[in-house]
Amino acid sequence: MSLLDLKLLRDLRALKSQALAVALVMACGLAMMIMTRSLILSLHTARTGYYERHRFAEVFSSLKSAPQSVSTRIAAIPGVAAVETSVAMQVSLDIPGMIQPATGLINSLPDRRETKLNRLYLRTGRLLAPAARNEALVSEAFSDAHQLRPGDNVSAILNGRKTTLRIAGIVLAPQFVFEAPPGSALPDNRSFGVFWMREEALAEAFNLEGAFNTVALTLAPGANENAVIAELDRVLEPYGGLRAYGRKDHPSDMRVSDEIRVLQGLSFGFPLVFLSVAAFMTHSVMSRQIALQREQIAILKAFGFTNRQIGLHFVKFALAIVVVGTAAGVLAGWLLGQKLVLMYHLFFRFPALDFHLASGALVAAVVASSIAALVGVIGAVRRVSALSPAEAMRPEPPASFRPAFFERIGVARRFGVSFRMSLRNIERKPVQAALTCTALALATGILVIPNSFRDGINHILDFQWDVLQRQTVTVSLVEPGPARALADFRALPGVIHAEPFRAVPVELRAGHHSRRLGVTGIPADAFLARVMDADNRHIVLPPQGVVLSKALADTLSLRPGDSVVLRVLQGKRPERSVSVVALAEDFAGVAAYMDMDALNRLLGEGDRINGARLTIAKGRWNEFLTAMKNTPQSAGVVIKEAVRESFRRTTAESIGLIQMIYLTFATAVAFGIVYNSARISLSERARELATLRVLGFTRGEVGGVLVGELVILTLVALPAGLVIGSLMAKAILVSVNTETVRLPLILTPANYAFAVLVVATATTLSAALACRRLNQLDLVGALKARD
Amino acid sequence: MFRWWPVNPSDHKPAATNASDPVFKVRNLGKVYGSGHAAVRALSGVDLDLRAGELIVLLGASGSGKSTLLNLLGGLDTPSEGDLRYRDWNLGAADENGLTRYRRDVVGFVFQFYNLIPSLTARENVALITEIARNPIPTTEALALVDLLPRADHFPAQLSGGEQQRVAIARAIAKRPEVLLCDEPTGALDVRTGVTVLEAVQRINRELGTLTVIITHNAVLAEMADRVFTLSDGRIQKSHTNNRPRSVTELAW
Repeated sequence: MSLLDLKLLRDLRALKSQALAVALVMACGLAMMIMTRSLILSLHTARTGYYERHRFAEVFSSLKSAPQSVSTRIAAIPGVAAVETSVAMQVSLDIPGMIQPATGLINSLPDRRETKLNRLYLRTGRLLAPAARNEALVSEAFSDAHQLRPGDNVSAILNGRKTTLRIAGIVLAPQFVFEAPPGSALPDNRSFGVFWMREEALAEAFNLEGAFNTVALTLAPGANENAVIAELDRVLEPYGGLRAYGRKDHPSDMRVSDEIRVLQGLSFGFPLVFLSVAAFMTHSVMSRQIALQREQIAILKAFGFTNRQIGLHFVKFALAIVVVGTAAGVLAGWLLGQKLVLMYHLFFRFPALDFHLASGALVAAVVASSIAALVGVIGAVRRVSALSPAEAMRPEPPASFRPAFFERIGVARRFGVSFRMSLRNIERKPVQAALTCTALALATGILVIPNSFRDGINHILDFQWDVLQRQTVTVSLVEPGPARALADFRALPGVIHAEPFRAVPVELRAGHHSRRLGVTGIPADAFLARVMDADNRHIVLPPQGVVLSKALADTLSLRPGDSVVLRVLQGKRPERSVSVVALAEDFAGVAAYMDMDALNRLLGEGDRINGARLTIAKGRWNEFLTAMKNTPQSAGVVIKEAVRESFRRTTAESIGLIQMIYLTFATAVAFGIVYNSARISLSERARELATLRVLGFTRGEVGGVLVGELVILTLVALPAGLVIGSLMAKAILVSVNTETVRLPLILTPANYAFAVLVVATATTLSAALACRRLNQLDLVGALKARD
Repeated sequence: MFRWWPVNPSDHKPAATNASDPVFKVRNLGKVYGSGHAAVRALSGVDLDLRAGELIVLLGASGSGKSTLLNLLGGLDTPSEGDLRYRDWNLGAADENGLTRYRRDVVGFVFQFYNLIPSLTARENVALITEIARNPIPTTEALALVDLLPRADHFPAQLSGGEQQRVAIARAIAKRPEVLLCDEPTGALDVRTGVTVLEAVQRINRELGTLTVIITHNAVLAEMADRVFTLSDGRIQKSHTNNRPRSVTELAW
């Protein structure tokens, strides 16, 4: 080891706490980067492998019913590689130990062959026996929620007949990586599950022998997906076909893609902020180090060391910090990534979701942190090179000061001397002060972001479930029923209010934009399901026209007053031009609402309803649920509180974990910045502070002088940080908001107060730590040394 | 060159003390730095009585122990052995807070390299002390005493060495210290500038009656002292009393 390297090691040891503070901030940025990039890679790898091995289809459609012969016509569409048709029905379930009914989606499997597409992965048990009649496979998410095992029985109401199904095995399917009730953005694994039965038994129960109502297909290499979709729609139209869609619009795949997109957003923004802060900290540490070693550098130069050698010496200093920061960052990113991957099991059901360390991110991390450190050190090294040995051996000229700006304009005159010292110190090194202030503001800002996400989600939940949807349960019918069905619901025990709804799949077209979705018809004076505008005003649905959610209007580039072509995708398939009468605030994404009577008039099928929203008297809840279990025409019951609870257990918990990680990092950064600034200030002003101690200032008073500057900078940084944090939260929301879920920007005083509190606490603690070092000031030595 | 100073030096003395009582009573004072094989004895067996109004010069080469003695008298360090009393106060047994209190209320320091706060003007450097002192001299009057009022609003970087040292003296006396300790006050100055600084010190000693201790390796300064102690190898080798101390201008440089 060269002696310069030995010096490096000893210098590092002397500066260890500051070097560690820089490495810590660097590590936070790298951990975040490696964690998110690795999660992206893990999700990506798991998805690609799963889709390939289990032949996940590429185009999907559902229809009322079509004879099997139609499938050969589908297979003949140019560009289609393989076709699989099946029967899928939504049914009501009676799960042992669960008082309320659950909803199941039963899919058929071919009787005597393996399915060509969307093949199942068997987790436990066995697959169905050929042509088995009362056997079913159940999805893992649902079986986990109910602790179902192979051999258990569940009761399902198949087309009005209660049937007992014996569970043969527990499976996963590529089209249900994310398993949520149709049309819902949130998983509810207790109330909704996916099942598979042999085709004959299922088709027979629903009088669909020799027919199918679901189709999935894959494309031949080079096929045009849109052309295939158009042709498929044409073929299926006579059979009540809903519009076909590709993989990217598949609800399960879309959720995985959305997650990856969110991670991509996070894998860039946060680490960038952290690494910039680390670059600044490296710069301040190195500048100070070089200033302290001015005379040593001069001597080395006088002895004949080249600028390059000395420059390299300090570059190595910075790189040593990079090595520690990178090692810690990689380790933390790896550990956190592994923990978070486990959390994804709550949402995404892959046969195996293994953690893959993103080696590319590793390289990027090393490069990014090295660049951050080199950017930090380069200016300081350049100053060394510019120094001539003779000049460097002389002590630095005394610092020149002048009255601070606030004093010149007469504002600061009545402040104490130590306050004026702080002001002048700040003004003498404006760049340093600005950077410290920026770093502190960033630390404040990054604290605002995670909490704003949490508040946004809480807002959605309250808004969606307390303001918009005030029912206790939503019950839906297997088939649209006559308006008098409402009277049957009303007659159920415990029902206080019953409000009907109509739901129809439609396609909305405006110019070259189009969107397929369900339009909901509700009574004009709806009391339980309400439509509200952005100002929280109740929108009364007019007898004509349609109300669109803001997200949908944005997608279609529509404004109130515009007209939109509405094509119904079932029954007589009427098509009308309707006007957009208002925009609704609906965070759950795209939605369209009409007056129920207007919708029924448009459909021309008479007064029909798809179900009803009910409020139930508290004391009669069990009675109601028992009655519901025995109502054959009901296809499903969604209990609002169950959904909310399920959301709390899964989404909220995972967001809580991510929020914790971000908060921890942001706090670490805040602490690192403040501690580093205080230490540098201490080192720059050691002589001045020692003089004050000799003159009889107490430790507390000298501590006040030391941290005064930091306190002023923190006070400036806090409001700026809150503004920066709000802007960053907004930018991140814009980048991660999808068509299906729109998180609102909610910034609460509590969030701001928390950020301020954390930074203020970090400032106080690290200032206290730095002040403890005041005890070690060499009073006598400081008096002997020259400036 | 200095204005008359209208302050009765006895104002700030503890009421119960007799003017002829020694301010410092030092017996068998010793200081050892480090321990075991690395132990270095810096001072041993020092006996001294220093009285109010005296001007004392401690002479000695570097390593003689004079700075160690000054540091002990100034409450910057604690003795390893012996007895060190300021009035009735046992400085040897004082803790950190006690020593801070002592430096704050009793001692004025003048350092070789001035040790002014670079971010404060001359006036503010003095005012800094008047903020923490119990019964300070007004800042302008302290600066007038060292003839620096016209330069009061200059920052240290804008002042010459002699001017900076005079600011340091003004700062030291602004608290009306009972003891003024000067560590090589002219060490960094040329002769002419050094004379103006020493004149200020002598004036303060005479007009305020402040017990003044100067350490120096410049033997010429001995002639301005009431008493001179010569240190060598950590011991007082010689003490000498001047019956007629000379004024600074009379010294032969």
